[in-house]
Amino acid sequence: MNMILVASLRVIAALGLMLLNGVVLIYMLRKVLGHLHVRLGPMNVGWHGVLQTLNDVLKLLTKEDPTPTNVDKVLYFMAPAIVFVPSLAAYAALPFSKTWAISNLATGLLFTFAIMSLVPLGVLMAGWSSSNKWSLLGGMRAVGQQIAYEVPLLLSALPIVLMVGSLNLNDIVAAQDRVWFFIPQFPALLLFFIAALVELNQTPFDMSEAESELVAGFASEYSAMKFGLLFLSEFSNMFVMAALIVTLFFGGWSLPFVPAEMLTPIGPPVIFMIKTYLIIFCFMWIRGTFPRVRVDQLQQLGWKVLLPANLVWLFVTGLAVKVIEAVAR
Amino acid sequence: MKIWGTGLLNGLRISMRNMRRGPITMQYPFEKYELPERARWTVVPLYDADGVPVCTACMTCVKTCPDHVLALDFTTNEDRSKHINHFSYQLGACMMCGLCVEACPFTAIAMSHDYELARTDPATLEYDLLADVAAYKPKRDKPATPAPVTPTESAPQSEPPAAQGGDAS
Repeated sequence: MNMILVASLRVIAALGLMLLNGVVLIYMLRKVLGHLHVRLGPMNVGWHGVLQTLNDVLKLLTKEDPTPTNVDKVLYFMAPAIVFVPSLAAYAALPFSKTWAISNLATGLLFTFAIMSLVPLGVLMAGWSSSNKWSLLGGMRAVGQQIAYEVPLLLSALPIVLMVGSLNLNDIVAAQDRVWFFIPQFPALLLFFIAALVELNQTPFDMSEAESELVAGFASEYSAMKFGLLFLSEFSNMFVMAALIVTLFFGGWSLPFVPAEMLTPIGPPVIFMIKTYLIIFCFMWIRGTFPRVRVDQLQQLGWKVLLPANLVWLFVTGLAVKVIEAVAR
Repeated sequence: MKIWGTGLLNGLRISMRNMRRGPITMQYPFEKYELPERARWTVVPLYDADGVPVCTACMTCVKTCPDHVLALDFTTNEDRSKHINHFSYQLGACMMCGLCVEACPFTAIAMSHDYELARTDPATLEYDLLADVAAYKPKRDKPATPAPVTPTESAPQSEPPAAQGGDAS
């Protein structure tokens, strides 16, 4: 079959997954936060408000899109695309099952981190070009925290790579057929989880949006579907990060004590999605519980706690891997 | 010594407990609380079994009202019966204290349970409770007779209280 056709079909599949995820996650966020606060969340559109997000998307699509006079036009129009495209591309390497992946990359983990680290660029463009001090502050904060936390995020994924000896996400899942990595790598999971929350601008670390301080942060001057794209990519990043946590620490699409042959063909993707959504629920649980930390506290946590802890754990893992190799030989 | 992070875990535990407790939201326009029996909202006139308003136009409620939201305008007929022209009520100024209802000697008004009082037209905030009706005449089996006047001379002298003081102590 035509290679380009296959490739574009895969992109469209990823796009569909991303849009669907966005719609479902926004509904889920509002419901989970509501129930955590002893409220109901959306209730009126459809059964228990299930059609609420669809209506919101329709509203965003049909809304007037005013452009402020003083914005830097080129950057202002490019920023949503620059935020959106990496978060779409990040779906490329996720292994939904042994064979279900948009592409089977030998450096899948590296690719995902690399493409996700493009997001702050778009965020900074959005904040800078809006010619609004709240946008600028939000953009600067987002970049400050996301670039700072790239280091702990990568370092906390490294012990897994050390244990597996491969950057291919499929290999990492295959290496967890006996024991999921969150048991031997529990400290790495904690560190990765915290760094992921910061990368996602999730609530204990959502200084870049900080509704009570910065209106909507870098997205203040955006409206209609340009805002929709910024918002959607935020939720899509959440899904990608949760999927990475599942892949690295919770055995990806596999189940313990169940051979993979029994689950095919539809089982593994379903299991993967369920696990991912459970992790996303944990994100939302944390979001509904903790107050926001200060910017300086965030940087202190990153550089003074997470980074040394990561280095120590990386050293311990490396030592353990070498010792086990020597003993096995 | 407390282990670092236990506070965070406790916070997560509390929010999960709240989640399991279930929402306490009352979805107001669709669901409504049952008001307690003694809830006080708008003042309404009461009617007897035949649908005739019980108000006698005695003016007690008007004099009692601390906010002057009640006004009664009546005319006295030839046979000394009263006719109520307007018994008006300023809903917007009423503070639902219920003093008028407590003061009413004939239970002719009551505090209702009608609490959805939003109006689109401010003119509707003042309206007549009763208009152009005859004031009620309390029905009596026999006409009231004045208490019999007892001549003070023939009445037996009651013993002064001082005489019984010794027994009490």
